[in-house]
Parts: sequence; structure tokens; C-alpha cells
Amino acid sequence: MFYRLSGVHHANYVSDSRIFKVPADRNLTAFIFLIGLAAPFIMPSLYLNSYMLPWLIWTAAALGLNLVTGWAGQLHLGYAAVMAVGAYSAIHAARFGVPWEFALIIGGLASSVIGSLFAFAALRVKGLYLALTTLAMQFVMDWVLTHSPAISGGSHASLQSPTLALLGQDITSDTGYYYVAFGWCVLVTIFMLNLKRTGLGRALVAVREKDFAAAILGVNSFYYKILAFATSSFIAGVSGALLVATFFFLAAPEQFSVNVSIQVLAMVIVGGLGSIIGSYFGVALILLVPGLVNGIVAGGSEALGMQINVETLAHIPNAVYGALIVIVLLIEPLGLGKLYGNIRDYLMVWPFDQLRK
Amino acid sequence: MKRLTKALAAFTMMGGLVTGTQALAEPFKVGVCYDLSKAYTFATPQVSQAAMDLAKLVNMKGGIGGEPVEVIVRDHGNEPQRGIECYSKLSREGVFVFDTLSTPVSLAILPRAMEDGRILMQSLVGRGDAVDGTVFDWVYPIGPTYWGQAANDVAYIKQLHDGDMSDVKVGFVYFDYPFGQEPIEILETLSEKEGFQLDLYPVPLPGSDQAGVWSKVRRDKPDHLIVWMLGGAHVVASKEMQRNRIPMDKYISVNWLNEVDIANIGNEAAIGLKRGTNVVGGPDVALRQEILAELYDKGEGSGPLGKTEDVFYNTGLAMYSIVFEAARRAAETDGLPITADSYKAALETLEDYDANGLMAPITVTAEDHGGGGKTRIEMWDGETWVPQTDWIAEYSDVVWDVVKESSSKYQQ
Repeated sequence: MFYRLSGVHHANYVSDSRIFKVPADRNLTAFIFLIGLAAPFIMPSLYLNSYMLPWLIWTAAALGLNLVTGWAGQLHLGYAAVMAVGAYSAIHAARFGVPWEFALIIGGLASSVIGSLFAFAALRVKGLYLALTTLAMQFVMDWVLTHSPAISGGSHASLQSPTLALLGQDITSDTGYYYVAFGWCVLVTIFMLNLKRTGLGRALVAVREKDFAAAILGVNSFYYKILAFATSSFIAGVSGALLVATFFFLAAPEQFSVNVSIQVLAMVIVGGLGSIIGSYFGVALILLVPGLVNGIVAGGSEALGMQINVETLAHIPNAVYGALIVIVLLIEPLGLGKLYGNIRDYLMVWPFDQLRK
Repeated sequence: MKRLTKALAAFTMMGGLVTGTQALAEPFKVGVCYDLSKAYTFATPQVSQAAMDLAKLVNMKGGIGGEPVEVIVRDHGNEPQRGIECYSKLSREGVFVFDTLSTPVSLAILPRAMEDGRILMQSLVGRGDAVDGTVFDWVYPIGPTYWGQAANDVAYIKQLHDGDMSDVKVGFVYFDYPFGQEPIEILETLSEKEGFQLDLYPVPLPGSDQAGVWSKVRRDKPDHLIVWMLGGAHVVASKEMQRNRIPMDKYISVNWLNEVDIANIGNEAAIGLKRGTNVVGGPDVALRQEILAELYDKGEGSGPLGKTEDVFYNTGLAMYSIVFEAARRAAETDGLPITADSYKAALETLEDYDANGLMAPITVTAEDHGGGGKTRIEMWDGETWVPQTDWIAEYSDVVWDVVKESSSKYQQ
């Protein structure tokens, strides 16, 4: 009902390969886009700055990982390391005097080069072996960061990011940062939406399903895997650079450590492999829920006048958060994206499917 | 997505309202954004308990300028993102004094605090060059930097050898990441200056396997060991030292070694072990006794009594004595309400303040936000900590050279 299908006919290939086949999807997306655009004016700056902005940047990053893990089916446990390469190269370039537009691209390309170089070696193995090899990349990168003051910025290992400036405009306001993050996230989302309907996207899916079957069909699986790694690393690099430029304002090795890699992977898995809207949901759950639950539990215990030990108070949200992840994956193993998909499918024919029962 | 955003906003607003209604009078608030669930849990429970106890004591005595004080303790799980969230949320609620007790989070908050003009207290964590008040206006790492602490350790060794270090061998055992690597530069400078031999022994994280390190130490036979490790790694080190027959009295630890570690090492085995510190160790300090009498004896303590016997409880008392003393002075000179500016001015009037014999006397100035960086060496005698030196801050010219060199890089 809400997703009305009446009058939707695909009479040619162009119409059949449209991004939004159902008008309601397009309208909903446009509506959300407008809300995103208007967010700085309708949302208190705390939510804009501490929740929306990191959410959007991490979503862009998670979409990049989704490309390699969800579409191409390659498990990647060193994603934060790739983000670190982008962040550090972009900041060093910007500190050197390169305009930010190019610094971001340099960051992306550096990530791309290092990510795919590593993939060259890593892709000789498959599955869990690949996961372990990418994990090794994470540790190599951690080691490089903590042992080269020239890269990580002195003995404290913190590298100050210069003021972000794009198109000749210094960006210093919360609103400005938000729009940069929003713009990047929209760009990546559009790219991913289109990926589905290109030859590249179909090749990646073929490689994911069975790489030797893909090879028999004439899809060079090694080439496409490398391409997937290179593209996703580019997205990771720019996202990492933007994360530092608009949110952290300085880069430190802890921001890109191994647990961050695992968090991004969790975002993608909880959200749903190969699901774009799922990445948005997954990031929200993994990134924002711990802080929110923490606030609610702390606020609630204060309001009820309960004397709870601060340590216990700190561990309750962790337990709630862990339980949430388990519950989500129990209800729908394919992730939050599929959960949304189920609701959409239900509403698509509602109430007429009820007549059958 | 829309639904989710709305739900998020509604949830957080609910949280905000609930905490907002608590504020009847306008108390002096401290934002204690701590890691109570991940990496720093070896110290944060004791320190936050001390903060809450001290706030209760201050309130029992009539608060500051007649208004109550409040410490708001929140967990950030050592994640920079959540630390920033905690900071942003509390600073919009009018908090202007923050403490994180976590290096990654302190680093993440620092640019914002500098921009927004909020006081960032970062005793014992964060970037050490923040003691340079001419660069870091709003950051107060009161207490020793790791550089200063290492220099004082060297000064103590020099004392032991009657001022001649030419044939002394000092080993530096450290966690091989920025926390442990920080003192290397200063130790190398001092080794050149004083002529002692310095050997470096990096310990890979998380420090649970140190066998290779200590057999190398046995072969090299250093006269003293300066150790920059945390928590359980001390226990592993002590086991390896016993295995390699290295006497415990060579061991000079960084301040992060407490009674829990001593108990795990074994009380007898730990005799002779030394540590640098900026607070008096042991349960006999006057302020703790007062808190016991006023709160714990009446069952109003903020946590278990056992935690107050820990040296990190004393560390917490020291940190928050400074926080409240500065607030008291700000209220006295500039009146209520206390603002970030009046608070900052009050901090810089602290002179030889030692919280009634609890810690090394500190003198905060506009240039030196570290308060002088005095520490002393204490030795575990099987029952308590016995001071081996006075409160000292040696080689301050060398330390400040390193500070200035590092802080000058902050502004591009």
C-alpha cells in the first residue's frame, strides 16, 4: 500500500535498470535527503556534531567495507589501517601546503595503492586465510604508526590537522563540518547505489558467489578482487581523512587500531552484507547506541534516585548493547538492512496479502 | 533512517531532560568522562571514587561559596568518539572543567577544549608538552610529565652513586608504544649529559610475555631498571626477574603501580621495589582519614572501603583537591558563579599547594601548567611505602627543552 506498485511497468531495459523501481522508495529517499540537508537548522548542535556527523562519516566508511566484504565477498579485518593511511597522508599533504581538495584525493589514492598492494599478496589465499592476512596488515600499520614519529607526529603520536578548507572557504563551523560529511556520505551512497547496476557490480557479485565459476564465465576474478580492494580503500582513505579533518581534528594511532577494524566489520555485518540502507542502520547501532544507552541508564538511575556504583553503571550499557546485537542477529541473521526489507516487503502488498490467509 | 533519527533524538532528549531537572541550585560541576569499562579500569574506579567522596566532603562542609559541588561521572570506554560525545554533552550543560584520565580521549578532546575555552585537567595522561601554558592555554596536566618523572628517577640514581654516574648502567624497560616510548628522548639526553650507559628493553604489548626481555637484562647486568609499564605487566616482570635472579630493588617503576600489583607480585617478593610518585602512598594520609571518619564510618562512602586503601585513591584525592581548591579560590576572588576564566585565573594562583601533605607541592603559573612536576621515589617495605627522596624536580632545563621542542610543533 505504502509502496504502491500499481502502474509501475518496465517496458524497456533502461526503465528496468533504474535505481528506484518503486516510486515510494525514490520519494522516501528524497525526503530523507531533504531532512539531511535541513538537519543543521532543525537539530540541536549537540546531536548534529556528536551523533549525525560521525554517523555519516562512518557510514561512508562502512559502505566502502561493504563493497569489498558484502559485494565482492572478501573478508577484510584491516580496514581501519587503510583508513589510517588515508588520514595520515591527507593530513601530511595538507600540512605541507597542498590544498585540502587535493590532499583528500592524495589520501584516497595512497590508501588505494597500499590497500591494493597488500591485496596483491593477500588475495593469493581465500576465506579465513585472507581474513588473517588482512589482520596482519592492521598490525603492520599499528607498528609503523607507533614506531615512526615522522608519520605519527612526535613522541606523543598525535598529529594536528590543519583547518579544513574546501573551494577556497575555511570550514570551521559545526554546520560546515556537517555538510562536508553529508556531502561525502551522499557521494559514496550514490556510487554504491549505481554499483549494483553496472557490469563491475555484477562481476563482483559473480566473484562473491563462486570465483572459479565467474572465471569460467570470463570474469577475471583476481582483477575484480583487486579492483574491489582498490575502490574500497579509496573510500576508506577519504573517509579516514575526513573523520580527522571534521571530527577529531588530530590523528592518533588509537583512532585506527585493531578494535576499530573489528567495529567497522561489525557495522557491516549487523547492518547486512551488501545492503546500503543496512550500513546506515549498522553504523547507528554499533557507533551511537553505546553512548545513548549510557546516557539513558545514567539519567534513569539518577531520576529514580538509585545509588548505583559508577562501575556497575558503566557496565550495564555494555551488556545492553551486546544483547542488542545478539537479538538483532537472532531475529534476522541477514542484518538490520534485511529487517527493513522485510517490513517493506510486508507493506508492499498490505493489506491484500491478508486476504489469502 | 528518518524513523531512526527521530527515535535517536527523542531518546537523547529524554536523557537530557532527566539529568537537566536535577540541577536545582547551580552547582560547580566537574565533567569526569572516564574509561570505567575498558583499558584504564586498573585506576579509574579508585580515582572516580575519590572524586565523589571528596565532593561529598566538600558539600558537607558547606560547598564552595555556599553552593554544592557535583562530579558527573560518565563512561567513555576509552573510545575517542564517545569521549567527544561526553565532552560535547556536558559542556553544553554548562560544565567547563573536564578530566578524562585516558590518553586517547584526552588527545581527542584537546582541540575542542582549546577552541571552546574549557579547562581540560589531564593529570598523568595526554600529551606531556601541554604543561607549556604559553601554547596550551586551557590544558592543565597538573602533576609530573613522564619526561619529568624519568628525569627525577635518574636524579635519584645519581644520588645513590654520590653524583658520579660514569660507570653506571641503567636499563629502561618499556611498553613498546607511545606511552612507554615517551621518556626515551630525555633518558638519552641525560645519558649523554651524565655519562651513564643506557640500555633499552622494549616490551611488546600487552606485556604478558617478557621472557626474552628479562634474559637479555640478565646478560647485560644493568645497575638500575627504570620501568614504564602498567598493571599486570609489573607482575609478569617480577616473575621473570625472580627466574633470572635479578634483585627487586633495582626496579624503579613509573607511578602506575599500586597495591593490587604488589599483592599479585607477592608481598614478600615485592620488598625493595621502588616507584616514582607525586602523591604520598599508604592509607595514613590526613584527608583519607577525614573521609573515612565523615563518610565511610557512617556508611556514606561512594564505593567499597577496600578501594580507598589503594594508592590510586590517593592520586584521585590529589587530583580533585586541586580541582576544588581552585574553585574555592575562584569563588573567593571573583565571586559566584564561577566561570571558565575565573577558574583558570584561580588555578594559576596555586603556590606550593600540597593538599595538607597529600602530594608534592605544586605551583601553577601561566607558563607552567604542570605545577612544577615534582615527584619522589618510594620503596615498598612489605607493609607500606617508604620515601627515599624529598619531592624533587631535577633537570628541569632539559625537560623544558623537550617540552618546548614538542609544543612548538603543535602550532604547525
